[in-house]
Amino acid sequence: MSRTSWPALLRLSARSLIRDLRAADVRALALALALAVAASTMIGFFLDRLDRGLTRQAGQLAGGDVVLEQGRPFDTEVREALEDAGLTLSEQIDMVSMVSRGERFQPASLKVVDSVYPHYGTVRVDRGNGIESLAHGPPPGEVWVAPRLALLMELEVGDRVRLGETQLEVGGVVEREPDQSAGFGNFNPRLMMHRDDLDATGLVQEGSRIEYELLAAGSAEAVARVEPLLQRLRREGVEVRDVRQDRPQLGSALARAEQYLSLAGLAAVLLAGVAVAMATRRYVERHLDTAALLRCFGATQRDLLRLFVLQLLWLALAASALGALLGLAGQALLVALLATFLPFSLPAPGLLPLWLGVFTALAVLVGFAGPTLLRLKRVSALKVLRRELDPLPPSAWLVVGVAALVFGGLLWLYSGDLWLAAGLLLGGLVMLVVLWGLGGVLLRLVLRGTARLPRGRGPADGMLTALRLGGQQLARRRQASLGQLLAFSVTFFTVAMIALVRGDLLTTWQAQLPADTPNHFAINIQPQERDAFASALAGAADARTALYPMVRGRLTAINGQPAREAVPAEARGNNALRRELNLTWRATLPEGNRVVAGEWFAAGQEEGKEGNWLDEVAAEPQASASGAAVPISVENGLAERLGLTLGDRLTFTIGSDTVTGEVTSLRSLDWESFRPNFYVIFPPDTLERFGHSYITAFHLGDDDRDLLRRLVREFPGVTLLDVEAILAQVREVLAQVTRAVELVLGFVLLAGISVLYAALTASLPVRAHETGLLRVFGASNRLLSRMQAAEFAVLGLASGLMGALLAELAAAGIYLTWFDLAPRFHWGLWLALPLAGALLIGLIGHLLSRGLRRQAPAASLGLLGEA
Amino acid sequence: MSVSSRTHVSPILHADHLAKEVESGERRLSILSDLSLAVFPGESVAILGQSGAGKSTLLGLLAGLDTPSGGELTLFGQSLRALDEDGRASLRAGRVGFVFQNFQLLPTLTALENVLLPLELSPSPGAEARARDWLTRVGLGERLDHLPKQLSGGEQQRVALARAFVTGAELVFADEPTGNLDPTTGERIIEALFSLNREAGTTLVLVTHDHALARRCDRCLRLEDGRLVEMARDEVMA
Repeated sequence: MSRTSWPALLRLSARSLIRDLRAADVRALALALALAVAASTMIGFFLDRLDRGLTRQAGQLAGGDVVLEQGRPFDTEVREALEDAGLTLSEQIDMVSMVSRGERFQPASLKVVDSVYPHYGTVRVDRGNGIESLAHGPPPGEVWVAPRLALLMELEVGDRVRLGETQLEVGGVVEREPDQSAGFGNFNPRLMMHRDDLDATGLVQEGSRIEYELLAAGSAEAVARVEPLLQRLRREGVEVRDVRQDRPQLGSALARAEQYLSLAGLAAVLLAGVAVAMATRRYVERHLDTAALLRCFGATQRDLLRLFVLQLLWLALAASALGALLGLAGQALLVALLATFLPFSLPAPGLLPLWLGVFTALAVLVGFAGPTLLRLKRVSALKVLRRELDPLPPSAWLVVGVAALVFGGLLWLYSGDLWLAAGLLLGGLVMLVVLWGLGGVLLRLVLRGTARLPRGRGPADGMLTALRLGGQQLARRRQASLGQLLAFSVTFFTVAMIALVRGDLLTTWQAQLPADTPNHFAINIQPQERDAFASALAGAADARTALYPMVRGRLTAINGQPAREAVPAEARGNNALRRELNLTWRATLPEGNRVVAGEWFAAGQEEGKEGNWLDEVAAEPQASASGAAVPISVENGLAERLGLTLGDRLTFTIGSDTVTGEVTSLRSLDWESFRPNFYVIFPPDTLERFGHSYITAFHLGDDDRDLLRRLVREFPGVTLLDVEAILAQVREVLAQVTRAVELVLGFVLLAGISVLYAALTASLPVRAHETGLLRVFGASNRLLSRMQAAEFAVLGLASGLMGALLAELAAAGIYLTWFDLAPRFHWGLWLALPLAGALLIGLIGHLLSRGLRRQAPAASLGLLGEA
Repeated sequence: MSVSSRTHVSPILHADHLAKEVESGERRLSILSDLSLAVFPGESVAILGQSGAGKSTLLGLLAGLDTPSGGELTLFGQSLRALDEDGRASLRAGRVGFVFQNFQLLPTLTALENVLLPLELSPSPGAEARARDWLTRVGLGERLDHLPKQLSGGEQQRVALARAFVTGAELVFADEPTGNLDPTTGERIIEALFSLNREAGTTLVLVTHDHALARRCDRCLRLEDGRLVEMARDEVMA
């Protein structure tokens, strides 16, 4: 039965909320909810924009939303099917051909484009009038060349070059193509021409190595419509790249930062939840009298529930609006921090994160405040006459259980991983039980320890008395202190974990790109030049600089079956099967590589003992021209894509010969290491008989430019690639991601402080009562001040200790399970957390209770309604 | 035994053989037994008794804030037995006012907001003007925006009086309304209470141990051994 109408309740709840804003617990609730929304929307907005930006960027880099590639022209049927689905098509042909001008000849990588090119972005080209951004490729009759080709052939705009059987005019020098790939696979300088001129060149012959690409651009819906066709084409061996599905992964630094941001965002939400729970307890206690009065005035239980739920909903909406604004500002700051690194402008923020943020606030409210709030409904009207008739607080297990369920749901929603969410939740609950027991023991120790403090009359007596009284008060208020201890420990633990992970991330990133990271690649070093090149480098390059032999071979068979038939259907169009792979031989595992399955050729071999190993190989050769299997090591990612496992026999065609190897190890490696990396490594004495060249990467400082000029002069056949610019960009990324991570850490800290504020605010009335009583008994302001400071400091110290213990255990767990590293002891944590806890809680508590000490005892006692 | 004075009008409040027992450890403690009472519209009834006699328990029962262990209770002609707690609350809404010994003002609300509170449960036009008016009548027209802690005990109780009468209640229960006040302030509050009661034509049931206050009522009853006994006028004067 309900008497009060909805409009009346809406008005009453809004008005009573406005009046309630004077209360500290309502302000703490609003702050906590706003922080939860701000944290989730900030990170949500940012990741959403990043995700959409990356997809758009990937489309630009790939040249379209779907790219089909094969060695022959595409059928009309395929084109029509794509066009019927609403996709715009552009055709592109890639091939290598000789370009000549007078006596100069140079192999070039031809990119033949049509009039639709490019789907996305612009070509930055210098047509003799400075650099222009054009939304088209070269017109018929013209070629546009890369600066390197212009340099090698001394070409200028207006010159004519011969291409096969025709001559074309150099119309421009291309500074940047929108769909330029960043790989080092194609070392020939680029020449771009129009499709209409191709036939005249006569370059397309039977047996020519030509790649035909069909670039399709359109909406996600259009792409979805052609999905069955794409599946079929994949099975037929066409390489299909769908940028939404096969989007290049974020760089590992950004990917980790993304995970970190999500984790930190959830940590902030959890902390805000704890703050909400603490503030709600006080809110409910403060409103028990209101509820009882309203019952007297005729409000039903349902009215009461609706009234308080509505009041908190208003609060949640207002806090959401404030939080969303903060989140918008925060994500703009994140974008600004990462701006120079992001190679594209991000699309405007979408609405989804906003809804997600509001939903998070409501979920936090329901989960962390719900069971406590129900207490208001059970208030008896008789409480107005008999104050002791407070309804029992909800069971701690119910409160924790509901909060855990809701937070688990949020974890699931944000991570998309049910098992991870369930695991974390279970771990968290076990942690709470342990904390509860440990907190009880700690409080008993505090009680005993402070009881034994000496009661002399020395100069330190005042301090000791304060410490004794403060400690004992804390320990005797057992349930309330346990609750605070738990909330503060979880807060310190969360902040410590986020700070620890941040520290480890930064260390990893710094270790990833040390100052002497190679910034130059040299390729095409002929065997006879190898020693001379190595000695020329010796002065400048460090000991890790190694020259890797490189042989180009095509994977043609797996376990005796043609490779394209042996791999899973979806891998038939894979690049690795259609192109030559770079193979090398080597006795020792390259730096930065890690064997993840099987064993390296000679497990236990130490670096630097290559000679011994080679001697053994020489005594018992592992390879023979007949094609007997030699042990080989395959990169883990390639093995996964092609479905390769240990023991598989791979046959490579090198020139007109073949060599078969048996996979004896799988390696993971760091593709961002700025070192030569190889998919397949053979043992020494297996590939030497094939034509090979050497590749190396080395670091040159700014002072070593002379050496670079000398290398160019002395080794004209060697191609030198300067990757300093890319390296600098990656370093800038790391610096900016670091700043973003620190911003988020700041947010988590803020959420942590909101917990402290909410919890201490919630404990004020009880403290006011105690302060009033002690005042009545004659305690001086000085003693009260010291006593409260001691109590807060002991509370902070104990919470810090428990937080450190938890963080240490959790870090050990993460190290053992995720990083496969031996756990290490964090001394700093055990010092910093208790100390920071004592100081921070001591300070906030001291400031908050200053008002209490100033109050007249009667007023303090009256706060509890005891007047 | 029934305590009543009129038989030709229906009582606004009628208790018949009311009993209240509470569990105390293993035995049951009887606080009220076989208690009967009829209160008629416009009457003012004082219930006197020693500390611990069960006065507040009785008030709680009469107002429907608590349920009896036995007997029948009728409020505004409706039996409370058939009603659950929400039903009793609805019956009280707008018709019953309360004045408490400890004022029961909400500390975060101003005087005006405290008086507005019962009106906001079923809003009507001019609620705020009415609240202002009642506060002016109790002499607090200048203190509308003051929080309870900025008011003296007497002023707080006057706010509570305004709150009890603002809804146009037909029946006002007062529980030791002067219990927390000094004699002079208490006297002023009594004056205000009875003057408001007169103006509004309200029925008043008050519980007190203050004979001066009881004397102002039409009838005085003494709670003794769980039953009500009608007191003679001279007994009250004593």
